[in-house]
Amino acid sequence: MATLPAFLLRWMEATRPEADAEPAETRAQRDPYKLRALPQDDLFFFCKKIDNSRLVREADPRAKSACWSAIGMASLVVAILAGVLVPGAASTNSGYRLESLRAEERRLTDESRALDLQEAELLSPARLDQLAHNQNLVTPKPGQVFHLEGDRPGAAVAMVKKR
Amino acid sequence: MVERRLIVLVVALAVWSAAIVRKLVWLQLTQHQEYARKARQRQEIPRVLPAPRGNIYDRNGEPLAMSLPTQSVTVNPLKLPDLGVAADLLEQVLHMQGSGLYDKLKQACDKGRGYQVVKRQITPEEAENVRALPVDWIEIESASQRHYPKGTLAAHVLGGVDHAEKGNAGIEDALEKTLHGEPGQELLLTDVQRRGIASRQAIEPKPGTPIALTIDERLQFVAERQLAAAVADKGATSGSVVVMNPSNGDILALASYPAYDPNEPPETAEDPRRENHAAGVPFEPGSVFKVITVSAALETTGLRPETPIDCGRGSITLFGRTIHEAEAHGGYGVMPMAQVLIHSSNVGAIRVGMRVGQQNMYEYMRRFGFGQLTGIPLPGESRGKVRKVPQWTATSLASVSMGQEVSVTTVQIAQAVSVIANGGMLVKPRLVLKRGTETVPQEPAVRAIKPETAFTMRQIMEGVVEPGGTGFPEARLAGYSAAGKTGTALIFDFKTKRYTHNYNGSFAGMAPLTNPAIVVVVTLNGTHGDLGYGGRAAAPVFNAVASEALRLTDVPRDLPEDFSKTLAAAKAEPASDLAIAGLGAGPNILQDGDDLEKPEEHAIAVAIPGPTVPNFQGMTMRDVLTAAASRGLTILPDGSGIARVQYPPPGAAARQGERIRVRFAR
Repeated sequence: MATLPAFLLRWMEATRPEADAEPAETRAQRDPYKLRALPQDDLFFFCKKIDNSRLVREADPRAKSACWSAIGMASLVVAILAGVLVPGAASTNSGYRLESLRAEERRLTDESRALDLQEAELLSPARLDQLAHNQNLVTPKPGQVFHLEGDRPGAAVAMVKKR
Repeated sequence: MVERRLIVLVVALAVWSAAIVRKLVWLQLTQHQEYARKARQRQEIPRVLPAPRGNIYDRNGEPLAMSLPTQSVTVNPLKLPDLGVAADLLEQVLHMQGSGLYDKLKQACDKGRGYQVVKRQITPEEAENVRALPVDWIEIESASQRHYPKGTLAAHVLGGVDHAEKGNAGIEDALEKTLHGEPGQELLLTDVQRRGIASRQAIEPKPGTPIALTIDERLQFVAERQLAAAVADKGATSGSVVVMNPSNGDILALASYPAYDPNEPPETAEDPRRENHAAGVPFEPGSVFKVITVSAALETTGLRPETPIDCGRGSITLFGRTIHEAEAHGGYGVMPMAQVLIHSSNVGAIRVGMRVGQQNMYEYMRRFGFGQLTGIPLPGESRGKVRKVPQWTATSLASVSMGQEVSVTTVQIAQAVSVIANGGMLVKPRLVLKRGTETVPQEPAVRAIKPETAFTMRQIMEGVVEPGGTGFPEARLAGYSAAGKTGTALIFDFKTKRYTHNYNGSFAGMAPLTNPAIVVVVTLNGTHGDLGYGGRAAAPVFNAVASEALRLTDVPRDLPEDFSKTLAAAKAEPASDLAIAGLGAGPNILQDGDDLEKPEEHAIAVAIPGPTVPNFQGMTMRDVLTAAASRGLTILPDGSGIARVQYPPPGAAARQGERIRVRFAR
């Protein structure tokens, strides 16, 4: 892991006036066969193990108590704030939902009315009559319908005589 | 030193805090109202709560008129930065290229008008496009638009509305207060993105009350179709049909021709298509009015249906005025009063009318509802014209007796015929069945004539649709008994002050006879020639409309279906109420069925002649059943008492399995 001093040193070197004054030597002049360095190529990362097992924290009941008190107070404050703010927030949220639902209701009501109108137009007697004529469905004239007595009592068959 | 600095700091903080507190107090206490109002103004937007105009339904709940929300685009021409740019922009967004919008805006601007409707009834897509425009001089207004989904159906009943959805004709106009809705308003609290958070109702919307008419759209359609066909076929100029329930006065159909589409109404109020010929255009009824004459005679004189009336061989001279029968066929001699009505004898009606007298005639015209508004809620309803007795001339009684010098509407005739159909009660026609969920109460009926008079008139009028009658065979219904009266009145030309050769052909009838469920009145105006008589022109419409009405109202048949065809064979030539001489009294099917000896040739191939049908007339039910059983016949009895009518007629050969219908009456 690169350390902060390493970065600082690099930055200081880069911003040094002398360095800017020196004539720049190109990479080809330095070593024509050397590839360009990758970013942070010159940094090396290592792990340093630190053993803190010998350090033992001194017991401090007062500090512990104060800490717990602070936590309790903070929790109380959070609970109070939540109790005060949450209903308002929920109310606002519900308001959004309610207005959204009302808008939806109005839209659906309008849509329903439009569909009712469309249905009424489609079921217009004039249109149905035209469709029936197209399908050769016409009301039989009185003389075209007659009833035949069936074999069983009460049985009857209605027929239409073609004219 | 440190303390001094601390004190300065504290003082500075205190001053700073005091300044803040002061400002807060000023803002939140002193200026609270003002800033709260400004906040509301910015955060709350008013929104119109629609209150649609009440729908109009027929008696079965089928919608005849509906309102749908719509939007219109308006601008303030005085605030437009550039008229040309604005016109181009709006024409492109609203798809109205070439509409001359620039000229309209320029004209409005020149006249100093701050309001101009750019387009009404825009589509949702167009509304979205307009809202997306980053300009503040365009407004989208919400409105409501009236639709008539059935087109021309019942146009004269429904009427129409103007641009502001205010009724301007028909029921829409008459019931404007009921149908009109009052839109409300709510204030919507919005966030910075104009999303609604909460709303409160500022003005409560009051939707219009829906109404249900007594009209049956199926029957209305049939009436209009048949009327239009008859007008075209007979060369008439206009016509009307009224179908009415005589018991409660419900108008089941009210058709007028020519018609129009209320969705695209005629531009001028004087357009002839707007005229409601059924209720708003009175005419001389002609022979239909003889029903009133005979009814009055039955009530006020000793005349009975069988009383002989001298018809003067075709003419009568009164105070120097000679009145003829409609057409010279030698005229009628002496005939029973019933036959005067059946044959529609003018001279006979005049003789009867003279027995009734002026005062009684006037009294009975009023009793039958003539010369008065029927009360149906249609603007422009005519009360017709019935002159008071002091205004009558010497020959007025004669004229009125045969339906002249009096003008009536088709609705009034339907009301009058209903009196005879329902047993003598004058029932006011009803056009509105329900307002909201409440049924419109029926006005109490008033007795106009005695029940026995009504029954007698029904029997006489039945003769009109039977052989020899002026309405036969066109008005004879298949499967139902019927009664009626034809009418053919010459149309008076007000320019030449003379009667023309064009007619008002009409037919007023009822069915079934025993307990009439419907009354149908048909009038065709401007017919001519032999086929323009009421019996030829209007009776077929009565037949078609009445048959459909009886089927739709589930009225059980009281005669065989092919009854009329059998009777039609007995008809040698068409009779009319103008040319009826020479035709003798035809056989009354209720009294004499002997003329119908030959049963109709039936289409059933397996029809095998059975036993001869005996004459049951005058026999009791027990005797009829016994006689039928002895011949192996099956009887379908109807009613009680003495056998009056039978079918097949006596002497006919019953087909195998055929049942003999016998109607009994006391």
